[in-house]
Amino acid sequence: MKDDYLWDKSGEPDPEVQQLEEILGTLRYQPRPLEIPDDLIVQRRRNYFPLLAIAATFVIALLAAGLWYRAASQKSAAPLEAQVEQPAPAPTVQQRPEDKTLATENHGPSPLPRVPPRKTQPANSVAFNGKRHNRASAPVLTAAQEKEAEEAKAQLLMALRVASEKLNLVQRKTQGAGGPNQIRNQHKIG
Amino acid sequence: MKLLFQQIIKTLILGSLVLAASASRATAQDSSRLRLTSLDALAGKASETVDVNIDERLMHVAASALTSDDDSKEIKKLINGIKGIYVKSFEFEHENEYSAADVEDIRAQLRLPGWSKLVNVTSKKEGNVEVYVLFNGDTVGGLTILSTEPKELTVVNIVGPVDLQKLAEFEGQFGIPDLGLESPKPKTKKED
Repeated sequence: MKDDYLWDKSGEPDPEVQQLEEILGTLRYQPRPLEIPDDLIVQRRRNYFPLLAIAATFVIALLAAGLWYRAASQKSAAPLEAQVEQPAPAPTVQQRPEDKTLATENHGPSPLPRVPPRKTQPANSVAFNGKRHNRASAPVLTAAQEKEAEEAKAQLLMALRVASEKLNLVQRKTQGAGGPNQIRNQHKIG
Repeated sequence: MKLLFQQIIKTLILGSLVLAASASRATAQDSSRLRLTSLDALAGKASETVDVNIDERLMHVAASALTSDDDSKEIKKLINGIKGIYVKSFEFEHENEYSAADVEDIRAQLRLPGWSKLVNVTSKKEGNVEVYVLFNGDTVGGLTILSTEPKELTVVNIVGPVDLQKLAEFEGQFGIPDLGLESPKPKTKKED
């Protein structure tokens, strides 16, 4: 008996081998199409990180824009508050009757101008951006504006003079008894 | 998607840098403005008070009142860029009517980063004068003069760039008389 049947199914088969073939043949591969059950639920793992990053970006940008706008509005509104709610105090000289200022004694009229309190501008003269309409649009100053400008000029000159006096005092102290206005010999700043 | 995400991150970083730069600049400008309200209580004790508050708007208003002559041009040059000038000066009848504690709030602000003491002149008779400068990089962003004399207290706060040389030359020029308020006082018999 040849064993060719086991090799290539030629020759005479062995009954035991045939019986084993029939038993094991039920388990052989049988090709068939893929069948997906209808009740199968596919659960995908989604990556939400990019969406969260984008959302966070927009939130941060909105917060930054809000802070920027708030800072800008506060900065632009500051002078308006000073004008309307707290009128910038004019240079005031609170002097007791018995006192005499050096300036009055030496130079006749007081060098510290007595400026009456500035009148507040009417509300309708203030634009929403914190700048005054009449000043921006009207090149010709009204009488009130001219008065305000003169008062501001007087304040400015007095403030500059006080600062200059103090600087000259420092200069005189640091450089001996030299004449005034010698701070030019010092290091120039600004 | 990844490219978009990277682009957003880059934009966000760039925007943050710009925001931080602007914020630091605004902070520097704000820090050059001192709070002088702590001195207001001294007005009741003082025999003479000078209070000047010129903000940026008033600076423009004052500049508009300057004429076009040479003196006014020099003043305009001097105040160019200055955002505000604030002066508080108190003159007292007697000595020691104010204390160091009254000035401590001002000194505390001048100890903040950015301020540098440029000059400190000390005199037992005539008091001390301190000059502080706020630097924004290489430029001056503010100036404060603190003068503490036995009978006088003066604080000058200038917000913005200022030329010290031109400012010192201001006294006695531009039609402004040199009042000599700070000139050495004649000695009396008591002082001798």
